[in-house]
Amino acid sequence: MSQTKVLLVDDEVEFTVALAERLQLRNYSVQTANNALEALGLVYKNRPDVIILDLRIPGMDGIETLKTIKKYDPTIEVIMLTGHGDVQSVQEGMTSGAFEYIMKPVDIGELTSKIDKAQKKKTEV
Amino acid sequence: MENKGERDLRLLQLRFIGKILAGFTHESKNYIAIVKESAGLIGDMIQLGKKSGDEPDAYLEIIHSIEEQIEKATDLFRYLNRFSHRMDTELCTFNVNETLEELIALLTRFANQKKISLEKDFQQDIPSITNNPSLLQLLVFHFLEEQLTGLDKNSSLILNTSLSNGLVVVKIMIKGNYLEAESEKKPGTDNKIHVYIIDQLGGTIIKENDLISISLPVLLS
Repeated sequence: MSQTKVLLVDDEVEFTVALAERLQLRNYSVQTANNALEALGLVYKNRPDVIILDLRIPGMDGIETLKTIKKYDPTIEVIMLTGHGDVQSVQEGMTSGAFEYIMKPVDIGELTSKIDKAQKKKTEV
Repeated sequence: MENKGERDLRLLQLRFIGKILAGFTHESKNYIAIVKESAGLIGDMIQLGKKSGDEPDAYLEIIHSIEEQIEKATDLFRYLNRFSHRMDTELCTFNVNETLEELIALLTRFANQKKISLEKDFQQDIPSITNNPSLLQLLVFHFLEEQLTGLDKNSSLILNTSLSNGLVVVKIMIKGNYLEAESEKKPGTDNKIHVYIIDQLGGTIIKENDLISISLPVLLS
């Protein structure tokens, strides 16, 4: 079975590095981006299966980034990464096509479960 | 009953405190998230066995990253604690540079979010002043918030302090372009709450295109 291609987008470099390595140890193929522009570049270049997207990234609003991604390829599944206070953004994200959301700090088991579900949905389409 | 100035002041104070707390909790959560992932990574490296115990450098690097995050979080806690105590007394003797440094630390996340740099350029030997520190922070916040809303990315806001003619002067220097929709919000066109605040601080404000200059007496008369 081929590896799920995950793009992890968050402005905290240390966070993306550590989480990416944890996901790689669980056999995901992971790329990271620390701003919206970098993220979109990787989306166009590598077309990931699942994107974990922080709603508050520099360069472009997280929701706008989500809409741009879904417009480019609706089959790419996006899991929003959010703080507890972003209820409104989460609702907006879900109506804009996000697959799921996960709260920070992340539970690795919960995250991998959501990635797997997103990938399953993608392959079923 | 409160007059309009008092009411606007309270509203601004609430927004100010809300913004500082939102930034603080968000930042704290980021530090905790990094510490959690880093600690989790050490656990993974041991449990999933992809890196052997004879690679101590990999572990040390992660442990160092955890220590760094804890130090950053401690600094943030210290700034928030100091900020909270600024409201203990209305009148006290305080160092303007420290007061502004604290404000910059607590607002940096919002600036980063908009890709605007928030910088300091302080004259180190300015005298302490006797005044209301939280009101000064509120006034500077009011102007910074206005600029952070109006400026386009890659702009800079520089907070400068100096002593001039016996007055302590705080300058907000604006370098950058305004977003088109926000162009009407350039300095000089906003509401007048700053007039109400500066009256209470016993100082003066001069607003020009790319500069806001706040002058404060060393002793409030």
